[in-house]
Amino acid sequence: MTSETAAAERPNWRRYFAWNTDHKVIGIQYLVTTFFFFLVGGLIAMLIRFELIQPGVDLVDGTVFNRFLTNHGSTMIFLWVIPVLAGFGNYVLPLQLGAKDMAFPRLNALSYWLLLTGGLIMLGSFFVGASESGWTAYAPLSIEGPDGQSLWAVSIFILGFSSIFGAINFLVTTVTMRAEGVTLWRLPLFVWGMIATSISVVVATPVLTTALVMVALDRMAGTMFFSAAAGASPVHYQSLFWFYSHPAVYIMVLPAMGIISEVLPVFSRKPIFGYKTIAISSMAISVLGMTVWAHHMFTSGMDPRLRLPFMITSMIIAVPTGVKIFSWLATVWDGKLHLKTPMLFSLGFISMFLIGGIGGIFLAAIPIDIHVHDTYFVVGHLHMVLFGGSVFGIFAGLYYWFPKITGRMYQEWLGKVHFWLTLVGTILTYIPMHLAGLAGMPRRIVDYADEFTDLNVLASIGGFILGIAVLPFIYNVIVSWARGPAAGNNPWRALTLEWQTSSPPPEHNFEHEPRMDHGPYDFGHDLVTGTPAAAPASGD
Amino acid sequence: MQASTEGRKHTNRSTYALVFLVLVIVTAAEVGLTTLGLPQGSLTVLFLALSLVKAALVAGFYMHLRDDPPVYTYIFVLPAIMLAAFVFMASLY
Amino acid sequence: MAAHEAGMTHKSEFRAGRQLGLNHVKLGMWLFIASEVMFFGGLIATFLKYKLALPTNEAAHLDVTLVGANTFLLLTSSFTLVLALAGLRDGKRGAFLRNLLFTVLLGALFLAGQGYEFSLLYAEGVTLSSSLFGSTFFTLTGFHGLHVLIGVVWALVLIVRGTRGAYSADNDLGIEIFGLYWHFVDIVWIVLFTLIYLI
Repeated sequence: MTSETAAAERPNWRRYFAWNTDHKVIGIQYLVTTFFFFLVGGLIAMLIRFELIQPGVDLVDGTVFNRFLTNHGSTMIFLWVIPVLAGFGNYVLPLQLGAKDMAFPRLNALSYWLLLTGGLIMLGSFFVGASESGWTAYAPLSIEGPDGQSLWAVSIFILGFSSIFGAINFLVTTVTMRAEGVTLWRLPLFVWGMIATSISVVVATPVLTTALVMVALDRMAGTMFFSAAAGASPVHYQSLFWFYSHPAVYIMVLPAMGIISEVLPVFSRKPIFGYKTIAISSMAISVLGMTVWAHHMFTSGMDPRLRLPFMITSMIIAVPTGVKIFSWLATVWDGKLHLKTPMLFSLGFISMFLIGGIGGIFLAAIPIDIHVHDTYFVVGHLHMVLFGGSVFGIFAGLYYWFPKITGRMYQEWLGKVHFWLTLVGTILTYIPMHLAGLAGMPRRIVDYADEFTDLNVLASIGGFILGIAVLPFIYNVIVSWARGPAAGNNPWRALTLEWQTSSPPPEHNFEHEPRMDHGPYDFGHDLVTGTPAAAPASGD
Repeated sequence: MQASTEGRKHTNRSTYALVFLVLVIVTAAEVGLTTLGLPQGSLTVLFLALSLVKAALVAGFYMHLRDDPPVYTYIFVLPAIMLAAFVFMASLY
Repeated sequence: MAAHEAGMTHKSEFRAGRQLGLNHVKLGMWLFIASEVMFFGGLIATFLKYKLALPTNEAAHLDVTLVGANTFLLLTSSFTLVLALAGLRDGKRGAFLRNLLFTVLLGALFLAGQGYEFSLLYAEGVTLSSSLFGSTFFTLTGFHGLHVLIGVVWALVLIVRGTRGAYSADNDLGIEIFGLYWHFVDIVWIVLFTLIYLI
């Protein structure tokens, strides 16, 4: 089937608002829903930066400000970055494996509806007194907070199931539904990223569930899990919380790294450098990521004897990460670069994530962490890796797969505007935060000492630029999806399996059962068997 | 609907019964031992070891881990080991 | 499901899994069990931490013999369940349904026993909110009990479907999957019984 026919038979838009077990529909539901939550979290961020552009309590009081920062973080983490990457996995993973759907299509649909339910409950918490304890919800503050905190806990409890069911689906699909010839070392790197992530999701998420259950029980059933008066240890909450939440950051970055590994070779017109090492590094990061959690607790009063092992593991994890960065650089080296929007965001990912990652190594060192813990150094670091890293990767993926998903091509110049505004905004917002933190500005405060004003002005201007940057993207998506030019099967002349079928793919993904008799990045060359080669290049 | 796997070894009823007997006898013995006032330290080690044995019997025979591809065993055991490390550390802080 | 079938049979979809000798539903169930290991682990870590840090004489209220008897019920229910599956595989429908029913009854009796034990403890002032021991004890055993309850309901559904001929020697996956869940819940209890009542 050609893309033209597929576009003409474009399914009714109503199916996206109903229960549907097709992974492509679910993928789109995820992508659109999570993007909506991104806008909610982003709006809150604009309010935060508006408050912080000058010292003094101007826009809102401390309590409301705490609700802003709590829900900005919670929304961005639980309702945007974690699930949007699952959305990509949903859409792309079966296609890259040559499968017709996920292993458990109904469980897949359930995962989406649990996401939506959890998300709406979290938004609902805003109306009953939103949680104010930071996205980290440390006890005992979270035990004593307003009613919204209970809804927050319920929301994340539900989201945890969505996440775990999704991860089980990705793992089982990859193991049991690969097309003929797709062996372990022929899995595309995006799939490797999803596998590595899914392992962490399955192992780590349930521990967060226990932490939340205990918080909810302390709030609603009179239990004493975190009551100092009863002899409990609030630090125990932190152990349970970070046991999940550290792997969570790798859950948030590994699929994005997988996207980068897909995009860079295509727009460098060169094979990926170090396929196997990137794959192994992804798995190593996932496993090691489950051994570092207490580096968030160096100043908590934890047993000092345990701090050093966690410092060591936290530094070790830089190694596989560095291996990947070098592999990506080697990939683009001497390549014929096509600086389209997916490529720009991917290159931006490398540079921004590098800065954030190095900041992380500083934080892993106990003596440094003791001074900068709970300062803006951490806020700068986390945003560099999560925004400069994950979100850049997410946008790379959105632009890259937009033609495949919609059958239409977006407007490239608007993509470039979005990218450059985002890059400038990222640097302007988050580098000053590192400096403010080093100078001693604490995080999660509505007011600050006058000496930090200039850095905050820069960060707020940068923040507003980031807010504006999203607008061309939204416009581009809406207009291009509605009436952009037909994209064809493979507008990027990429070499993975998903580009060998129409845009969008037919219901069962491939007209003929695909097979892989070579590497995952060799489709479209003349050596391929089966499905026809990609559209001819107009000069390479 | 489908059959679980074709052509794998079957554990027979007498093995199941034997496992059941061991589980019951060991548990009864454990309950009995708690009433005897023996030193708690060595009892603790013994009971923990026995609980692992009982768990392994149920997992190996009733859940067919012995007969099935090893990946299922890894999926079960590796998180359990990670968990044991976490429990150990959580009691230390 | 039906709309997806075009171009590929159900069998060919999971060809890769079959080549590895892996059934996708079983694999999924084991992964779910792994997540459950971690869930109970968080609760166990909390219980043990406070048991070690804050020894209390509230634990003296625990009746090891009563709960030992209850444990016997759950262990037996695992035995009857493997017998049920064996019966199904040998084509003995009567044995299959009978043993599945025994499993349900034993599970229900276990729950009754737990409920009785909880009521005794509450009468003696050991409650969810009386102390850290109460909080950790009732939460840990309560969640385990919840899992038993879910298992009992699941098994009842299987019995109803089984009497309508949904399962056979060639079609035993549903029972085996339930078995994995139920035996896992039993293993959790083996560990909990040791950690809470024995040591």
